[in-house]
Amino acid sequence: MSASQSAVRSRAEAVKVSRTFDWLICFTLFFVVLGGYHVHFMLVAGDWDFWVDWKDRRLWVTVLPIMAITFPAAVQAVLWWRYRIAFGATLCVMGLLFGEWVNRYFNFWGWTYFPINFVFPSQLIPGAIVLDVILMMSGSMQLTAVLGGLAFGLLFYPSNWPVIAPLHQPVEYNGMVMTLADLTGYHYIRTGMPEYIRMVEKGTLRTFGKDVAPVSAFFSGFVSIIVYVLWHFFGRWFGSTAFTTAS
Amino acid sequence: MKMIKDKIAKLSFVGVLVGVTAAMFYAPTAAAHGEKSQAAFMRMRTIHWYDLNWSKDTVAVNDTMTVTGKFHVFKGWPETVDLPESSFLNIGTPGPVFIRAGSWIGGQLVPRSCSLELGETYEFKVLLKARRPGDWHVHSMMNVKGGGPIIGPGKWVTITGSMKDFKNPITTLTGVTVDLENYNIDNIYFWHAFWYAIGLAWMVYWMRKPIFIPRLIAVEAGKADTLITPTDKKVGIAFAVGTMAIVAATMASTNAAYPITTPLQAGLLRGMKPIEMPAPTVAVKVDDATYRVPGRAMQMTLTVTNNGDSAVRLGEFNTAGVRFLDPAVHEDETGYPDDLLAEEGLTVSDNSPLAPGQTRTYQVTASDAAWEVYRLADLIYDPDSRFAGLLFFTDESGNRQMVTVDAPLIPSFI
Ligand SMILES: [Cu+2]
Repeated sequence: MSASQSAVRSRAEAVKVSRTFDWLICFTLFFVVLGGYHVHFMLVAGDWDFWVDWKDRRLWVTVLPIMAITFPAAVQAVLWWRYRIAFGATLCVMGLLFGEWVNRYFNFWGWTYFPINFVFPSQLIPGAIVLDVILMMSGSMQLTAVLGGLAFGLLFYPSNWPVIAPLHQPVEYNGMVMTLADLTGYHYIRTGMPEYIRMVEKGTLRTFGKDVAPVSAFFSGFVSIIVYVLWHFFGRWFGSTAFTTAS
Repeated sequence: MKMIKDKIAKLSFVGVLVGVTAAMFYAPTAAAHGEKSQAAFMRMRTIHWYDLNWSKDTVAVNDTMTVTGKFHVFKGWPETVDLPESSFLNIGTPGPVFIRAGSWIGGQLVPRSCSLELGETYEFKVLLKARRPGDWHVHSMMNVKGGGPIIGPGKWVTITGSMKDFKNPITTLTGVTVDLENYNIDNIYFWHAFWYAIGLAWMVYWMRKPIFIPRLIAVEAGKADTLITPTDKKVGIAFAVGTMAIVAATMASTNAAYPITTPLQAGLLRGMKPIEMPAPTVAVKVDDATYRVPGRAMQMTLTVTNNGDSAVRLGEFNTAGVRFLDPAVHEDETGYPDDLLAEEGLTVSDNSPLAPGQTRTYQVTASDAAWEVYRLADLIYDPDSRFAGLLFFTDESGNRQMVTVDAPLIPSFI
């Protein structure tokens, strides 16, 4: 038996092996991306995503899409350009959210008893789906970066709003006005997190009055464009097969 | 020979196992809170907590207790710690075993950070509502930006009952009463499940067809364009348009359901009101201070002048929350934590009443195992070997007055 002989003996067997391979890769890819993306996201977006009293109209809206578009851009670069598969961004974001929910439910709630309405993750799936579709329709990295990056930034706030809005109702508490989100952060004691490290409502976008969220979202979209291009190339470099190509 | 070797190996293995197991079950009570690991000078020369009171030892779920007292912001604040420009009155508990129902400095609610002034003394109060049963060490605590947490004394408090019964009702300005413990949770689960299902549908659409190998072969054969079918495009557009339509519609319906929302509230609170302390009538000068390592005792030579109109006696020396008392002058009746209280820890050479106008030199010794247990003796290894603390003098009518001391400390190793 020579080494070059195929391991499969019929077309049916080849199809079966190829399909098994699909499932194995999808499963592995999901969890590998989950791991890397989740660590990355905790490091760069961390508290903005952990706590409801950090989810403001300025920095949360700006920071999260910029930090979230990274892995989707890189994974799209591999899955689209090598396989013409159009679920790269969605796969990443679903992996991230799965990991985050496990973390929030079992660690934040299960071990330390922070209520879920305090520590739920941010919603990113709508932006990811649109990003995937734009790449599939255009087949162009530049267009996906520009349109997709912008859409990713713009869709973030509205897709989170149904979950956030109830917690932004005002309360009068011992003579001060707070939102329910602020009050949750005050009530549920975080010994290791003093209030002054909370980065909310900071910045100089004061001329926009109360319409600051759309402005922040646009800004976030613009930066997302640049980050998309950068991480697209990371994806290409990491997806290189230059060293494995058979002669 | 080999048999003996084996036996020794086996026995030592059993020994290790027993040791490890024993270590796992041996949990010294106050070891895990970090209060002792903080540099001694941080605890002695930043925030001095005193007159502390924990209103209850045992509290049932949903019931409240308070931690009250005063803190003095030390004038001789160490250079290595940022000034308390931005400080947050926290409470040291293992996570949200209580909820913080309120916290005040000088009567002002402090849900946010505030500015404190050196040399001032403030009154504080933290109102806690019991949430999770267990025995918890409750510390007073001040976070200082650029300085880290400054942990005050801790006392054990027992919460009884069941967390299931915990309620946290809040009425909003629009007149709706909600339970913050579980408000909005169903809504959060619903929207996350909803979008996850849509994301999953998008992935399943692609996974129905062969994915990796056949597509890679096709791309490498230059037939990439054939891989995206017109159906794929139609489905893709449906997903994208559908997603954007749902986002827009739910945004609008949410705005209709919650017409009144406000942004998160933030910003430093300034102008905290300190206690108006009368000017001290007792003047204290530290002539020298030594710490005797073998005796676990600090000795100070003080020159004390009474400028008041009532004779005074020295009743207490307080540093880093450890209280050394002269029982002849002052006894604690507040139930202060035992491990931080040296009831007879203060010895004074001549503690007879110091009449008005008189000056006397005192030899004061503050000795207790707490110097070691609370690692205050580590002060001698700190970069700036100074000590600081509060002296309390009691006059004839029982009034106490506080005088701060701040001086170099010379260790004595013999
Ligand atoms: Cu403790």
